Amino acid sequence: MQFSSESVEGLVEQLTKLPSIGRKTAQRLAAFVLKMPRAEVVEIAEALIAVKDRVRECTICHNVTDRNPCVICRAPRRDRSTICVVEDANDVLAIERTGEYRGVYHVLGGVISPLNGIGPEDLRIRELMRRLVSADDIPDDVPGTNGSATPPEDVDAEAEAIIEAHQAAAVEEIILAVNPNVEGDTTAYYISQLVNPLEVSVTRIARGLPIGGDLEYADEATLSRALEGRGSL
Amino acid sequence: MQLHHLRLLAFRAHDATEVAFAPGINFIFGPNGAGKTNLLEAIHYLCLTKSFVASSDRYVLQQGAPHFEVEGQFSGMRRSELRVRLAYVPGEGKRVFVNGAPLERLSEIVGMLPVVSFSPDDQALTAEGPDERRRFLDNIISQAKAAYLEDRIQYRRTMKQRNELLSQIGRSSSPANARVLASWDAELVRLGSRVIHMRHQFLLDFATFLAEAYGRIEEVAERPTITYDTIAPLTPDTTRADIEQAYRDELDRVADNERRRGLTLIGPHRDELVFALNGLEVRRYASQGQHRTFGMALKLAKYFYLYERLDEAPLFLLDDVFDPLDPERSEAFLTLLEGDAIGQSFVTATHAKRFAELVSLDAPTHRVIQVDDGKVVAPATAS
Ligand SMILES: [Zn+2]
Repeated sequence: MQFSSESVEGLVEQLTKLPSIGRKTAQRLAAFVLKMPRAEVVEIAEALIAVKDRVRECTICHNVTDRNPCVICRAPRRDRSTICVVEDANDVLAIERTGEYRGVYHVLGGVISPLNGIGPEDLRIRELMRRLVSADDIPDDVPGTNGSATPPEDVDAEAEAIIEAHQAAAVEEIILAVNPNVEGDTTAYYISQLVNPLEVSVTRIARGLPIGGDLEYADEATLSRALEGRGSL
Repeated sequence: MQLHHLRLLAFRAHDATEVAFAPGINFIFGPNGAGKTNLLEAIHYLCLTKSFVASSDRYVLQQGAPHFEVEGQFSGMRRSELRVRLAYVPGEGKRVFVNGAPLERLSEIVGMLPVVSFSPDDQALTAEGPDERRRFLDNIISQAKAAYLEDRIQYRRTMKQRNELLSQIGRSSSPANARVLASWDAELVRLGSRVIHMRHQFLLDFATFLAEAYGRIEEVAERPTITYDTIAPLTPDTTRADIEQAYRDELDRVADNERRRGLTLIGPHRDELVFALNGLEVRRYASQGQHRTFGMALKLAKYFYLYERLDEAPLFLLDDVFDPLDPERSEAFLTLLEGDAIGQSFVTATHAKRFAELVSLDAPTHRVIQVDDGKVVAPATAS
């Protein structure tokens, strides 16, 4: 099916840029958009632009947020001595949905994968280390920036106090909740080698998760069980 | 396990074929190139998502056809009704459906429908390089243990990642890489040791099955053995921790060489199996007859092993294997196929004549299927 309108064709092309949207699906979506009231289309368009303009990265945990630091890092009752390390923002959502976890997070932004050209320099690993020790105590070969040395511009005095409180909190436990595949394993090992010499316990959740399955797709019951049964690395 | 009915669409020589099978021996006769072997390949596709003949899916698809499809109706000890359908679309790959539900991953079907194939190509097992022997080993253990297949898939992925990293290190040495490589080493050692340990445990078990199978087809008392040649010498008491230690030592030893070549140089992907008769390596010293007997014993042993481990009689696919056998051996083998030790089997041959003298082809447990020009021509209607 070929639309006789250049605009529709353009929309189809743009939609196929999204993951798991093939040409056929894009055509169906475009046909649907054509029938939608204008106001609704504007809402979608504005939402798309808003995520790009308004959403930033939390200075503390690197999760996506409208307000820096994010709500989880701001929450005073969350246990700041436990950090759950995840690959991306969707994993935070998955774990939050279980309602079992009361600690805070650290979003790596991916996993080590030479085939995809991703090394520790592309991940928030040095930033994680900065939450545990001072910059001087991080091994020199760990690439990346030292994080919150100078607070970003969007941070007010209140936010700055929260960032400092996190930095001052003594972290007792790191939970590595990376996906149970070879890239996740290797990233977990890399981090555990850095954290093991410190007075911080490192655990890994993996049990109960389908092998090779993504955290994002694990159902909540499995994830709860995995969180309870986490094992020491 | 029993296959009751098979349907093929645009599969090799077959445009659209349907055929029903008997519970005992199914003889598939027809001239060369008629499409006999294709039926066996199709069964193998359903069991293991690929043919026993090395070939890409693209060539299995009939020229000009948009996709091929194979569907089989099975029954077994655990599942009384199992309908398995495999479809291949160029560019999209293969999908497998069990009782109508798609499998998330193709590997999930492995072990559900145990199968053993035996064809003239199997002479490579005893006569050629180590790849064939590793494949033989991997095929059995994967069917018997889902964890093994999973470990091997992950091992291969780890090796690919590690090879990429090694070649990146070769191009430019960043100080961060040493720690990253050490992390991949840990994963490689963990998975590689699991694979080696499972292979080792399997071969210890398999020895009895091989000796017994050999005794069934050869009256001369010869002792068949398999020696496992891997990263380190193994004894029956070797633990996985021992293997991991040896593995790390070996990695240290080859570290410089690996960085230079940008390749993982040691591990289960380099393992070798040495087949021997009375201590003499089959590949070098065995006669033609001994090669054939050893190959057949390997396949029979595989059959008995899977039968015992899975509590399910594998399907036995015998492609053109009777032609080189003398009448005595043919008869002995057919007697074995007719007996209780073996379940449903599928035998291809050019001519019915030689079988007619050795087995009653019209017994209700057997069936004769005539194939010609990519069609089943007899029995006239498949039910
Ligand atoms: Zn945060």
